[in-house]
Amino acid sequence: MPILDFLSPKNGKKQKVILLGSGALSIGQAGEFDYSGSQAVKALEEEGLEVIIINPNIASVQTNKGTNKKVYLYPITPFWVEKIIKIEKPVAIISSFGGQTSLNCVIDLEKSGVLKKYNVKVLGTQVNALKLSEDRELFAEKMKSINVPIAKSHAVSTVDEALKTAEQIGYPVITRSAFALGGLGSGLAKNSVDLKRLTQAALMTSPQVLIEKSLHGWKEIEYEVMRDKTGNTITICNMENFDPMGIHTGDSIVIAPCQTINNTENNMLRDTAIKIAQNVGIVGECNVQYALNPEDYGFYVIEINARLSRSSALASKATGYPIAYIAAKIVIGFDLLELKNPVTGTTSAFYEPSLDYVTLKVPRWDLSKFTGVSKNLGTQMKSVGEVMAIGRNFCEVMQKALRMVNENENGITVNIFKDASSEDLDKELLSPTNLRVFAIYETFKRGKSIEYVYEKTKIDYWFLSHILYLAKVESELFNFFVKHSEKKDLFTAQDIYNTYKKVPKEHLHCLKSKGFSDFQLTKIFLLACLSGQTKLSIKQIRTLSFGIRKLRKKLGVLPVVKQIDTTSSEYPTKSNYLYLTYDGIHSDVSPKKNTKSVITLGSGSYRIGSSLEFDWCSVMTSSYFKNKKNDSVIINCNPETVSTDYSASDRLYFEELSSERVLDIIDIEDPKGVVACMGGQNPNNLIQPLSEAKVNILGHSQKSVDGAEDREKFSAMLDKLGIDQPEWISAVSRDEIEKFIEKVGFPVLIRPSFVLSGTLMNVANDKESLEHYLSLTKDISADFPVVISKFILDAKEIECDGVAKGGEVILSLVTEHIENAGVHSGDATMVFPSQKIYTRTVNIIKDIVRKIVKDLNLNGPFNIQFIAKENDVKVIECNARASRSFPFISKVSGVNLAELSCKVMNNERVKKILIDESEIPYVGVKASMFSFQRLDGADPVIGVEMASTGEVGCLGDKFDHAMLLSMEATQIRKPKKGVLISAGREKDKIKFMEVIDNLYKLGVPVYATRGTAKFLEDRGYKVETVHWNRNPRAVDIIIEGKVDFVININKNLSVDELHNNSEIRKMAVKCGCSLLTNLEKTMAYLRAYDSYDELQSIDHCISL
Amino acid sequence: MKNESFFDKGYKKAYLELSNGIKLEGKAIGADVSVSGEMVFNTGMLGYSEAMTDPSYWGQILVFSFCLIGNYGIPFPENGDFFSSQGHESSSIKTQGIIVSDIYSGCHHHDRGISLEDWMKKQDVPGIAGIDTRYLVQTIRESGNLWGRIVPEGAKPQNKSKFEFLKHFEDGEYVDPSKFNLMPSVSTKERQIIGRGSKKVAVIDCGAKWNIMRMLIERGCEVEVLPWDTDFSTVKCDGWVISNGPGDPKNTADLVERIKKDVLTSNKPILGICLGHQLLALASGAKTKRLSHGHRSHNQPVFSLPDKKAYMSSQNHRYAVEKNSIQAGWELWFENANDDSVEGLKHKTKPFMSVQFHPEASSGPNDTSWIMDKLVGLL
Repeated sequence: MPILDFLSPKNGKKQKVILLGSGALSIGQAGEFDYSGSQAVKALEEEGLEVIIINPNIASVQTNKGTNKKVYLYPITPFWVEKIIKIEKPVAIISSFGGQTSLNCVIDLEKSGVLKKYNVKVLGTQVNALKLSEDRELFAEKMKSINVPIAKSHAVSTVDEALKTAEQIGYPVITRSAFALGGLGSGLAKNSVDLKRLTQAALMTSPQVLIEKSLHGWKEIEYEVMRDKTGNTITICNMENFDPMGIHTGDSIVIAPCQTINNTENNMLRDTAIKIAQNVGIVGECNVQYALNPEDYGFYVIEINARLSRSSALASKATGYPIAYIAAKIVIGFDLLELKNPVTGTTSAFYEPSLDYVTLKVPRWDLSKFTGVSKNLGTQMKSVGEVMAIGRNFCEVMQKALRMVNENENGITVNIFKDASSEDLDKELLSPTNLRVFAIYETFKRGKSIEYVYEKTKIDYWFLSHILYLAKVESELFNFFVKHSEKKDLFTAQDIYNTYKKVPKEHLHCLKSKGFSDFQLTKIFLLACLSGQTKLSIKQIRTLSFGIRKLRKKLGVLPVVKQIDTTSSEYPTKSNYLYLTYDGIHSDVSPKKNTKSVITLGSGSYRIGSSLEFDWCSVMTSSYFKNKKNDSVIINCNPETVSTDYSASDRLYFEELSSERVLDIIDIEDPKGVVACMGGQNPNNLIQPLSEAKVNILGHSQKSVDGAEDREKFSAMLDKLGIDQPEWISAVSRDEIEKFIEKVGFPVLIRPSFVLSGTLMNVANDKESLEHYLSLTKDISADFPVVISKFILDAKEIECDGVAKGGEVILSLVTEHIENAGVHSGDATMVFPSQKIYTRTVNIIKDIVRKIVKDLNLNGPFNIQFIAKENDVKVIECNARASRSFPFISKVSGVNLAELSCKVMNNERVKKILIDESEIPYVGVKASMFSFQRLDGADPVIGVEMASTGEVGCLGDKFDHAMLLSMEATQIRKPKKGVLISAGREKDKIKFMEVIDNLYKLGVPVYATRGTAKFLEDRGYKVETVHWNRNPRAVDIIIEGKVDFVININKNLSVDELHNNSEIRKMAVKCGCSLLTNLEKTMAYLRAYDSYDELQSIDHCISL
Repeated sequence: MKNESFFDKGYKKAYLELSNGIKLEGKAIGADVSVSGEMVFNTGMLGYSEAMTDPSYWGQILVFSFCLIGNYGIPFPENGDFFSSQGHESSSIKTQGIIVSDIYSGCHHHDRGISLEDWMKKQDVPGIAGIDTRYLVQTIRESGNLWGRIVPEGAKPQNKSKFEFLKHFEDGEYVDPSKFNLMPSVSTKERQIIGRGSKKVAVIDCGAKWNIMRMLIERGCEVEVLPWDTDFSTVKCDGWVISNGPGDPKNTADLVERIKKDVLTSNKPILGICLGHQLLALASGAKTKRLSHGHRSHNQPVFSLPDKKAYMSSQNHRYAVEKNSIQAGWELWFENANDDSVEGLKHKTKPFMSVQFHPEASSGPNDTSWIMDKLVGLL
């Protein structure tokens, strides 16, 4: 029986099913759920169901409008889900495709009886089983009853209990908190001091903490399991962490399939995974994590996730088996034997993929974006994205992945530890940070043994021996050149060609198959033979590396294209899921040269500043060209994305977004054109090298892009057009900086080209903070200039997104920031249609846009940012590419900006589109999600450097509604216990009084720091004063749980002020309080309380 | 990989010459001899030592489709016997040679043994690394029948006394082992009793994997391993296993006849595995056929009838039972979910059963180990 009876259409009407998303992206819960959700939607629609999506993540593909789909951009909370249940009357709800957020929501709905009341069935794994995988004590009992070993552990609910338990188990111990995602509140305690600190923090957000024996140094291994309702079960993939136990899986380098375990170990763990799935009662997908003793066959189960996860997305991309798609079919009633493996189309879905390649996931950290954060890795996840490399040997995938993850062509040979002392290297090996793999490489380059590194890292010999090999190859190659080539001041690409001609062809092939890029090979030569004084830029080295490319083409040292087909070629397939390797002689596919393809360059790893929204743009682009009967090709390397779902394109190259690899693919595809402006800044950076290689870039010309991106050129153009801009200078000396500041005065925005520590961009309020920030940069010189610009206080920030064709604006839409200028546009709260901008300002802006578009001759998507004070409008920057607001504006306005951009790039006829923004029936508010809770030590303040990890976009009948919803969806909740206020400058306090009554109406106690307290008392408000350094201390109020809402506005951006307040902010985040640090955002939010009751009692919800 | 120097040109080349005229170049690994055999591939990602010692690969050159082979070395080769815990399915390497993409020449697994290459050298088995195994698998898949030669530069031919049937071949000739009765080459020479228990199982050794014996002993049985040409009428036992093995089931001299005469008529429980399944089917009157490239992997999906319970199975066979030849009194027990081929037979009234896959796994998944329980339960 394929589909469950109650899901089949009644009286010709489709049945409705709710699919919960995961909300805003945050550390530990990211884009992978858009991928699994989108696959689920496809699987459900195919079976004649109407899908109701609840997910405020407006930039996701799953929240696109569809014919058999309704989208509610609402917070994923029992309250809103119940409301939507009441409206839509679905027959069922699915919890397993939206991560921990949706799982917890469904557990709550079940507990409160809502599902029973409305007769909504939970599809897939039932709530009892879900609880089993979430409540660690229950889980431990269950495992015991089926003889599955789990690490000795104890659930505790007080610090004292924790200390007692640890004494029994013996230190070191690991703490984990129940009901948490991404290992929040987890850590390694070597002694009672550590343990006290960890449990105190964990117990603030979770009622239960688990104390476990530490398995530091054991292998960490994971299995992805699928089980149908008849009990038939398969394991789709296993994965092994390069980093042994002690580092969160999300922060570990992961290889799939497992490489250092033997057949017995594999089947022992596989059998156990199946046994667990059977006994827990999984219907659909789950994963099982193990710690495996590297010294014998002993193992423990660490945890299971009874839902789709980051690992399942990775496993899907690693194997080609569409786990979420099949899981969705299973939860609506299909059995595995009834389904076909979609990759082959002919064989059974009851199948465990066989791979003839390896994949390596490397996490992406953006820790330098956060002030004060600890860079050490542990049991709490810190990475914000990941990449996956595919190849036929370990060296190849390691090299590829390390180039992919930081868009750095140096990869493993980057030499960041070149000048490090051996003590520093040892320290890095022992207490790893995000850079450990580079330290291992450097240690090997210095001649240390595998044993030496193993003792410190416990990373398996097999992995280490390959890194040693790479280090040796680099050294030998270097020595070869020192011996055989002359030192010179200058080299040409032809010199590089001649040099590598001396290397035997089979050795050149071997270098390529071990993953060395042309860039790296060029650089190794230059390190050996370029005279000491000459320094070359990345661009120059890249140009020289074309010598190797030319040589390779002449010699026939070229990569081959291989398919990912789930069967290792046992059966023929037409799989369009491809990768390139030098470890092979035969290509599986050779695209027909007569069907000219269009290549869309994806965005690479998610990171701060480039996330889901650019994947949305890439997917829209690919499907546009697919619909236009072009061969639509995607290149991307991020396994969490929808764009790397092989059904999103006609051909998917899961590959590096480097100029070398993209040109390799262009040689194979001979495309009609390449789209580089839809995947954010990463592919945009490839326009220059690709254009030089005579590739047809669709959309903006390289000249237009250069004109927008080159600060000097852009500024000169603005001057020419008579458009105002904040004063700025690219300073190469202290002298220049001082002169500039004398002229414009403080505050100024500082942007060095290189920082040793801390964040790149900062605002200096006075001489002292200027000195402080400059001290963090390298010496200022012509090589490392510092850009300084006048920072304008109390100005509004406005953006204009649009599409141009041939220098004419086709569509332009204006969005308004709620925060004043000074908050990075990626962190700002945005409103569309704009609510509070003078018509006159809008007109000025649109006029400026027309001029800029004309002068740059833009031909595609663009985004221009402004600051406005009264009607004084200045341009900050222009991006000749799609911006992160594209999905938000497209969904609110109803005009798909991505699709419109594609029409322009495809030379379709397009008419000017004039939208009367006042006709749009609702207001959208886009708000940012921060993940400070996971970033120990980071100051959770928002500023000029972007720090958010995700965003939501909610709709309302009026601004207040949308504002309240988007705040709720980003974890800002109405205070229940108490509020702590520090309201900033005198004039901020005066302004704040406009909304103070809305706060007092809530009837909760109000605490304030001295200045603010006095200010409030003077005006007759009841308030308790707290202090920095004496009792009652502000931080204590938070620790004691007397407040759950903290408003903390800086007086200014001076170092002292930031430091004082940062303690309060950090504690607020640690203790799970709602935290607002921006005056305008706080005011907008509090003002919206006027409509709070109205919104809660509303009986309709807005859907797309 | 440890001591390999990048600019060391010292490695030796080897060629894989195929009967369809294709010639591939790679790096010689293992022993310095040239061999010939039937080209087969296995898509299992682990378990290379189990596969290489599996007598069913006898006379074949095994291509590992997975790109990284040898990662965890080879455990205790010298101490191998029926009771050795894992890694070996017979006392020596049975494949003629192996073809891999990337070979790892270390051994750091806690089982502590030797590296794959050293093991091959010791056992006089050659191989080639650095081959595009995916391409080779496709070539084998498309060719149907393919024979090959591993020819290391300047190597001497294989010692023909290694296997009895090799005497039929000239040096440099492509070898098709399935033309011959391979039983004399693979079966034990003497009857042998191992394990202790209240029930006794007779294993007709057609090239049996050790794990069959291990599992019977673990389940409390005494096992008597019988040479293939034993007079079965003289055997006293509570049940039979007809083992796996190499070659064409029809090329086994009078074995089928003797199974029919002495084993079936004993009315004791019988379990046929792989080749044993085909032999039992032939003895029942059913027919076998040669598949275009067979099943050799750890991920063959099979399901039982009529309950449709599905299992992941380990397989290694070229021949299969023809579905429409199943005789009255017998029924289809298991079917392959990918290509509907016959995966198991069961007698409707008598305790006779047989499976095409390997319930003893090793290597591969243990999903069907319950079949061994079932046999022991019937004794």
